[in-house]
Amino acid sequence: MKAFGEFHPAALMMYFVGVVLVAMFTLHPVLLALALTGGICFCALLEPAGRFVKDLGFYAGVFLLIAVTNPIFSHNGVTPLFFMNGNPVTLEAILCGLAVAGMLVAVMYWFKCYNHIMTSEKFLYLFGRAVPKLALVISMAMRFLPRFHSQMKRVSAAQKAMGLYAGKGLTDRARFGFRVLAATVTWSLENAVDTADSMKARGYGLPGRSSSSLFRFTGRDGGFLAVTGLLLASVLIGLILGGGAFAFYPRVSFVSTAPLSLTVYFSYGVLCFAPFIIELEESLRWKYLQSRI
Amino acid sequence: MKKDLLVVGVVIVLLAVLIKGTNFQTVDEYYLTHIDDITSDSQTVTVSIRCDEVLKHWDDLDPALQSEEFVPGDGVILAASQYVLRPGDTAFDLLERVTRYHKIQMEYQGADKNSFSSVYIKGIHYLYEFSCGPLSGWMYRVNGEVPQKGCSQYELKNGDVVEWVYSCTLGQDTGGQRGNGE
Repeated sequence: MKAFGEFHPAALMMYFVGVVLVAMFTLHPVLLALALTGGICFCALLEPAGRFVKDLGFYAGVFLLIAVTNPIFSHNGVTPLFFMNGNPVTLEAILCGLAVAGMLVAVMYWFKCYNHIMTSEKFLYLFGRAVPKLALVISMAMRFLPRFHSQMKRVSAAQKAMGLYAGKGLTDRARFGFRVLAATVTWSLENAVDTADSMKARGYGLPGRSSSSLFRFTGRDGGFLAVTGLLLASVLIGLILGGGAFAFYPRVSFVSTAPLSLTVYFSYGVLCFAPFIIELEESLRWKYLQSRI
Repeated sequence: MKKDLLVVGVVIVLLAVLIKGTNFQTVDEYYLTHIDDITSDSQTVTVSIRCDEVLKHWDDLDPALQSEEFVPGDGVILAASQYVLRPGDTAFDLLERVTRYHKIQMEYQGADKNSFSSVYIKGIHYLYEFSCGPLSGWMYRVNGEVPQKGCSQYELKNGDVVEWVYSCTLGQDTGGQRGNGE
């Protein structure tokens, strides 16, 4: 079920670009926390539970790795905790590392959601006419990793079926993995050429070619677009006016609770949790209707 | 299985080397330095650290640093005073000793990390390169002139006057040519 994905592609595109851009260019802890939790909640509804939990562990690892890296390279800050080879490891650098890690993981999660919602079809519908080549390349690139992953699973299953089991040793497993990787890379190169050829054979990008799509811009889409636009505008104006100013060095500044900042937090919070709420409401309604049968 | 043990062993050895090679100190241990007392026959050098130029370019300064705490109103981070010169001391050695003695924060890039094979001072007293506009950073003068050498390559003599100054215009405001933050 993808209630959120039913919106018009143009509205969805604007929504994702807005949310991700703000998350990318801010280091404000409140905004990052909103983006991170919003993205994770949304992702939890889009993915099967088992897969989601497994991924959560992986991203927690990524988060810690990035957070630990910053204090090793940055020695600014007024609160040294201890010295490592004559360089201070400061509280400020650790907090900044946490914020940077939060930002990266939040953006990764939003891109995961983007991949679930913005299918290749929607992307090509939006940009296929205006910039056909670029749109095709981008949509293929976006699909590359998930496809690579599933193909790898298929290849390894085939290898196992042929009796080429991975042994128990680490080196044996590494050799097995390498064999699978080599096969998958060859496949992916070939597949990219195939896709391009196949699109060409269908006349993709030629003038006068028409294509059918089921996307219609309805009143609901208009409403969504207007609300998203308003919220984004208030976030951006608030940020430009300094409502999202925050510094980690040399001393961590206080989280501002001025009306301007509160407006920014509120607008961005609504923006980040909108898909989660829409999706949740839809699934609750579905359950309710089912229970009445 | 033997190969596995080998891999695990190598990883453990690498970790041990890494931890052994890292010197952990508490804050108090680090700042517990001793500076030589000046006696009648000791060679001395005068050192000062100033950031007057920042006061003239206040609007370019990073808002987080715009306070009396980080940029003193008179521009003096460390007033000129005499320190004992140990044989073979470079401008950098002395700066490190002095900042450590006075508990002034200082961050530098090691001589092996850049193409000048000299230490580069990134920041003193939370005031970093680029903190006050794109052309800002730390430079040093010896006896009023900017040496055309990196600070860890310049050996000091008895009676030298070393001034560490923060420039906001690649050194045009602090005298001498550009590019001498090293």
